Formats: sequence, C-alpha cells, structure tokens
Amino acid sequence: MPVNQTGMDLGNFLSYLSQRQEVISSNIANADTPGYKTRDVEMPISFSAEFQEARATVVGAPGLVTRNDGNNVSIDREARLLAENTLKFNVAAQSLRAQLKNLRSAIEEGRAS
Amino acid sequence: MSLFSAISISASGMEAQRSRAELITENLANADTTRTPEGGPYKRKDAVFTATPVSYSFADQLSMVSGQSDGVAMSDVAVDDSDPERRYMPGHPDADAEGYVAFPKINTAEEMVDLLSASRSYQANVAAFTAVKDMIARSIDLFR
Repeated sequence: MPVNQTGMDLGNFLSYLSQRQEVISSNIANADTPGYKTRDVEMPISFSAEFQEARATVVGAPGLVTRNDGNNVSIDREARLLAENTLKFNVAAQSLRAQLKNLRSAIEEGRAS
Repeated sequence: MSLFSAISISASGMEAQRSRAELITENLANADTTRTPEGGPYKRKDAVFTATPVSYSFADQLSMVSGQSDGVAMSDVAVDDSDPERRYMPGHPDADAEGYVAFPKINTAEEMVDLLSASRSYQANVAAFTAVKDMIARSIDLFR
C-alpha cells in the first residue's frame, strides 16, 4: 500500500482525462474530414495499478448518424464532452491538491497550515 | 504527454479551417475573373481534408504511444474542372466569336455558407484549444 493511494488514483484519473481530451480534440478537428469516425476512450474499470501499464483503449462511439461523406462527428456531443471533461479535470486536480496538502501537513507534523 | 498533443491537434484543425477559408475567399474574389495565367476563366477551388497524425513531442515519439488520435490536414486542393458559365456579353474584350464570355462557375451563396461553416469549425477548435490550455494551467497549479 503506497503512502498516498488516493493521490495515485487521482493521478491516473487525470491521465485518463487528458487522453480523452486528446481524442475529443481530434474529433473536433476532423469534424469536416470525409470518412472520419468519432472516437472515444473506454473508461477503465479501476484507476489503480493496472491502469498505469496500458493506455486506455480507443473505441468507436455508437449511436451516431453517419452523413453522406462518411463522417459521423456530432459537434454538439463533442462540445458537451469537452465541457464535461474540463470540469472533471478541475475537480480531480483540486482533489489532488488537497491530498498533497494533507501529505505536506503530515510531513510538517501539523505545524504549518 | 497527451495534453500537449491535444493542443497540436486543435492547432492542426485551426490551420486546416483557415486554409479552407482562404480558398473560399479566393473563390469569392475571383467570381468574375475571366483571365488567368493558365488561360481561360478562373476555376473554383475546394479544400480536401484528411485525418493525419500530428507531430508529437519528442518524449512521445520515443515511447511510441502516438497513433490513437489524429489531427487534420488539407491534403489536396480540388479544382472544379466543369464547363464555365457562358454569358452573352458581345462588348466584353474576352467575348468569343458568338459574343459569349466564359465566367467561373461560382455560386456566391454557396461560398458564403462554406465560409460560415469554416469559421464556426475554427471557433470549435479554438474552444477545444482553450479548454486544454486551462487543464494544463490546472496541472501547473498542483505545484503551488
């Protein structure tokens, strides 16, 4: 059991969110590319140990309408995911900060705030 | 580092949309051009986009983790080779023997709609870019 398991899990979650952000950016950039299919990152079952080895797998997104040019990017879906992802990232980063603050407090034996 | 490649991807999208807007404005500017260096009237140009991997950071290339998400690039410029529009203007210096002048086949309304679409797509890429920038700033805040 590492000293700061929660912190490590949060770190893995942040790494998952940045991967997802990359895929969302890719979907937005290719919104006008003929034949491009929307991609998404599969959420791992756990953000502990095994996540560190492999990057989360990239999958297609089901239930989207394919247009005549073979492209199925829905810009509304991507805008929603973009906002959602940023908010999640902010929450996780804020929690990680709090975790690190606790750790520092323990190192300093609770003397400093 | 995926956040920095996300920035490169958004930047590639912005670049592609800007190039597309350039081509559209070129079409609009030359809607009545009857002479070109190649001879004949101006021909309408259209951007062709292809999904391409963006150049990742040095560290990512070392660990070979790229290839999951693609940026976009303008791979080709399609030139419209269909017959020009013939207008009857006998007084025009470029009129043929029958008095017809060959004009580029450009629909201004169509070009304006394309321009609007390019501009909106550019904005979407800027939004993604800003979101990633904020995320990186949040990560830097962890050091404080």
